[in-house]
Amino acid sequence: MNVESNIPIKCTAALGTLEHVYDPEIGLSIVDLGLIYRIDFDESRKEVTCIMTLTTQHCPMGESIKENVEHALKGSFIDYSIRVDLTFDPPWNYERISESGKEYLKR
Amino acid sequence: MVPFVNTNEIKTTSYKVVLPFYIYAGFSFLAATIMLSTSASAFLQHYFHPHTLAITHMMALGWGTMIILGASHQLVPVLIEGRLYSEKLAYASFAFSATGIPFLIYSFYFFNMGWQARYGGELILLALLCYLVNLGISISKSKTENIYAIFVFTAAIWLLLAAALGLALIYNFTSPVFPKDSLHYLPLHAHLGIVGWFLLLVIGVGSRLIPMFLISKYSNTSLLWWTFLIVNSSLLIYLAFFLISFTGMLLLIPTSVLIFGIFLFAFYCYRSFKERIRRKVDLPMKVSLTSVIIMIIPLLLLLLLIIAYSLYSTGNHSNLVSAYGFVIFFGWITVIIFGMTFKTLPFISWNKVYHLRASSGKTPNPKDLFSSTLFKWMLLFYLTGFILFLSGIIFQLILPLNTGAFLLLLTAVFYNGNIFKIIFHKPESL
Repeated sequence: MNVESNIPIKCTAALGTLEHVYDPEIGLSIVDLGLIYRIDFDESRKEVTCIMTLTTQHCPMGESIKENVEHALKGSFIDYSIRVDLTFDPPWNYERISESGKEYLKR
Repeated sequence: MVPFVNTNEIKTTSYKVVLPFYIYAGFSFLAATIMLSTSASAFLQHYFHPHTLAITHMMALGWGTMIILGASHQLVPVLIEGRLYSEKLAYASFAFSATGIPFLIYSFYFFNMGWQARYGGELILLALLCYLVNLGISISKSKTENIYAIFVFTAAIWLLLAAALGLALIYNFTSPVFPKDSLHYLPLHAHLGIVGWFLLLVIGVGSRLIPMFLISKYSNTSLLWWTFLIVNSSLLIYLAFFLISFTGMLLLIPTSVLIFGIFLFAFYCYRSFKERIRRKVDLPMKVSLTSVIIMIIPLLLLLLLIIAYSLYSTGNHSNLVSAYGFVIFFGWITVIIFGMTFKTLPFISWNKVYHLRASSGKTPNPKDLFSSTLFKWMLLFYLTGFILFLSGIIFQLILPLNTGAFLLLLTAVFYNGNIFKIIFHKPESL
């Protein structure tokens, strides 16, 4: 799991928040699934930009997951506007699942 | 610059489009099992019995096709990686088929091939045209070409051909459309539907969903292409043999080709299962995988039928034909529907109810939306009822037929109870 950010300490806080957004089918958080690619903070414009992906482009849960990411980040960064961008470049693959996530799936 | 995707591009098909198909299919299954209970003795007679025809079409159209149409409207975006072209066409497809099916079933049940049968058949054909157009435009607008979409589209074309032939056979009852009577063309009509529609669709959707739900690393597009070519070849060979009146042992040729195609699909499922990341496999997924194994039963019966008709062409093998149809519609297709309903419907309902609550960490999982106890009882009734009824057909005994039919009726009641539990699920207060 490798999430890039211009302010790593704030990114860690954001990821802590996003640990509570789950893929309901798999039962893993989107952070453990490796769906988050990048989280940037623009302090002058008070904006959080999250770049993320989905396990498959037309995942039936995709819209719901994206909206829940916005909702969760808004809850933690109250003074910021939240922007969530979806990308499929590079596409998600199983190697992005965290070690703890892989352990959970092996159970 | 990373290319971003607009949210509109990942929107899934509305649950309002999909749920009517699921509800209709559930009621059709119940109606089919009620007819089975009241007409079990029809399975002691020739397979071309009005009640047997009515039950078969209720299972093929009302149960199998309706649920597949509903699920595929939901799954097409996943399969083609693009949006469904039109929800209005999907509604039209539902309205036409939902109206046409009862007309057709009524006509078969009372063997009245008058205007009701013709209108029913025409409405169903119209519904399938709407589906095919919707699917075709959705695929043409998709940016990625993939094997799953080709499976589904080809399956829909075969279904349209099967339905068109079926309608022509209805007309053939009252005015000569074909040189021979409708019974002669029945195997062709049935196999266009069973192999062309159901099998191709199950392979196309299954090869996408099975690795997805198992979280499997396995992927083999070339194997799927081979499967596609082989299954379609078997059907085309059968069609050619039928048209040039090749019968008897020669039918083993398309059957062998078909068996090879099914073997490739089974191998694909096996490898997906072996290379899964998620070790724990839930019950609906186990049921879906079991349906792949169950495909052996109709294949064995088909081989037996070909051999029986070749060696004893004047003999009465009607019970074997009835058993063959029964294991396809009440066996293979029903099992895969059981598995896939309880994998897909909870998602649809969960999305409807908990759309914006997943970040709260207190939402149930989709699998918690149905009762696993009801599901297990349903499977128990089903398995017992299926074995009893099949034994009744093969050995021509009324007691196992009646008992089996009653257990299958209970299965349908439990199935409907559980799907209504999912559909009308209310959110827990947070």
